[in-house]
Amino acid sequence: MKILIIEDEREIAQSIKDYFKTNGIQCETAENYDLALTKIDSYDYDCILLDLMLPDGDGFDILKELKAKNKTEGVIIISAKENLETRLEGFNLGADDYLTKPFHLAELLVRMQALIRRKNFKGSNSIIFNEIVVEIFSKTVAVNDIKLDLTKKELDLLLFLIGNENKVLSKSAIAEHLSGDMADMLDNHDFIYAHIKNLKKKLTHAGSGDYIKTVYGLGYKWENEQ
Amino acid sequence: MSNKKLLLKTTNSFLIYAVIILLIAAPVFYYICQWLYIYETDEVLLFHKGAFVNESHSNYQASDIAAWNKYNHNVTIVPDMGVTKDSIVGEMIFEAIANEKEPFRILYAPVEINGKKYTYIEKRNLVEMEGMVISVAFMFLFIIIILLIGIIWISKKSAAKIWKPFYNTLSQIEEFEIDKNSPPQFIATDIDEFDRLNKSLERLIEKNTVIYKSQREFVENAAHELQTPLALFQTKIDTLQQLDLTREQSELVGSLNKDVSRLSRLNKNLLLLSKIDNEIYLEQEAIILNEYIDKNLDFFIEQAQAKNVKINTHFKNILRTKGNTALTEVLLNNLFLNAIRHNIKNGVIDIITENNSLKFVNTGQQTPLGAQSIFNRFSKVNPSSQGNGLGLAIIKKICEINKWEIRYSFNDNLHTFEVIF
Repeated sequence: MKILIIEDEREIAQSIKDYFKTNGIQCETAENYDLALTKIDSYDYDCILLDLMLPDGDGFDILKELKAKNKTEGVIIISAKENLETRLEGFNLGADDYLTKPFHLAELLVRMQALIRRKNFKGSNSIIFNEIVVEIFSKTVAVNDIKLDLTKKELDLLLFLIGNENKVLSKSAIAEHLSGDMADMLDNHDFIYAHIKNLKKKLTHAGSGDYIKTVYGLGYKWENEQ
Repeated sequence: MSNKKLLLKTTNSFLIYAVIILLIAAPVFYYICQWLYIYETDEVLLFHKGAFVNESHSNYQASDIAAWNKYNHNVTIVPDMGVTKDSIVGEMIFEAIANEKEPFRILYAPVEINGKKYTYIEKRNLVEMEGMVISVAFMFLFIIIILLIGIIWISKKSAAKIWKPFYNTLSQIEEFEIDKNSPPQFIATDIDEFDRLNKSLERLIEKNTVIYKSQREFVENAAHELQTPLALFQTKIDTLQQLDLTREQSELVGSLNKDVSRLSRLNKNLLLLSKIDNEIYLEQEAIILNEYIDKNLDFFIEQAQAKNVKINTHFKNILRTKGNTALTEVLLNNLFLNAIRHNIKNGVIDIITENNSLKFVNTGQQTPLGAQSIFNRFSKVNPSSQGNGLGLAIIKKICEINKWEIRYSFNDNLHTFEVIF
């Protein structure tokens, strides 16, 4: 899988690159408008991460270019601008998702995975991890073909964990992912503990491996058992 | 001290002056008139006597004197009463015609007729004087009153006209709010002082508006600019925590994580406040608050579980209002969060909707909060709390913008925040 990160802050681009690399995602970066256009012209990407404020141009113009060239790459806008107008304009110009800075890399990763899944949708859409099968559209989870009864939050949590396989996820990243728009309201991330506990119980009860590891002081990690 | 109106104050001093002058002038005038009249009467009496002496009645016989006395009602010649020089006295004498005592001036003067000494007595009634003096006094009073009324009326009229620009300026200044309406347009005036007042007010407002705007822009820009370094911070921590960390390091990174999310929350709240200031949220829609409360109730019940706080809703009414939907949601969320954050273990939150008000009643600290400062930015009751001191400021700002009222009260160890729509 290959993506293009259009971001003038090199260090942010680098962090994304490093984080995604271990998940088998190949990242290219472009730190300005011209370079971004050249790369878009020359290659096809699975997904483009787009910062709106570039030193030599406007991110919205890149969206217009993509449209004009009939490019079908999924685009996630990552921007410090946070207002409804910018968001709506982004979506109108063909962006698929909008993530406001600052964000968690884990969040960006699952959003990108979801976007690529939607783009590559061919009949069925499921995530398989060993004995666990998650059907995205019917929102069902089965362990060894036994259906699990998960709440919406638990399903969300499971997808977030599997999507960030082998990554240490901080409590705040998980909490903010689970709260969606309400994330800014949180001043306590302890509530995720109950969700983790319940999910863990339901999975192991159905005979799944115990993949959720607690990382001391930090959070949790979804890890294939050795 | 009770404040009086400026115009009232100027006319009041006029009135007081007029009354004092009237009170003093009326008796003084009366007595001066009376004195003048008596003086004139006395002159006339002496003149008559002089004429009598000059008209050489000196050859009068006793019979002539008797006849004189018979035909002259006012002047009588009597044998010498021992009067050595002219003397005039005032006396009350019974007047048969009027059937009452009346004031008289009486002249006693020594005269010599045919070498014999006599006393000349002439009296003059002063009744005419009384009437005249009184009518003159009344006329005088009448003129003065007319004059005073005229002066007061004219001064009131002209004062109202003169002070008009002042009152105009005053009412405009009273309505002016630096964060809301456009600067006031003062009416032109030809009075130098008012013109100076208006000009300096204009300058003051202009200057302050510029300062206020730049301050506002500064907050917004600063918050915006902080987003990028915050993003750098966050992504680096995310990267850092993937490394093989010792327990101690993990703990440090974990707490860094908390700090950065607190920082970014604070920054987002600052952005929100400056956005409200910039009136980005002007659209108004009909809102049913009960639905909004229900919408996020589960989220907050979950948040409250950490402290085992129970949230109860008492919807007595369907609470409808008009406002900006996004901001109303922020308002409710902040009320929820505030009630949870400052609650105690095993506490309670009651959400009550009434006719036109919404109440969040919660347990918490045992003492009331300082009602004056709690809505100020960064005024934190408990410095160690997780809050950033902006929640209540945001609540207040949203109420202001929607023209709602927010009230805080403390009763029976319960904190109540009430929004009146």
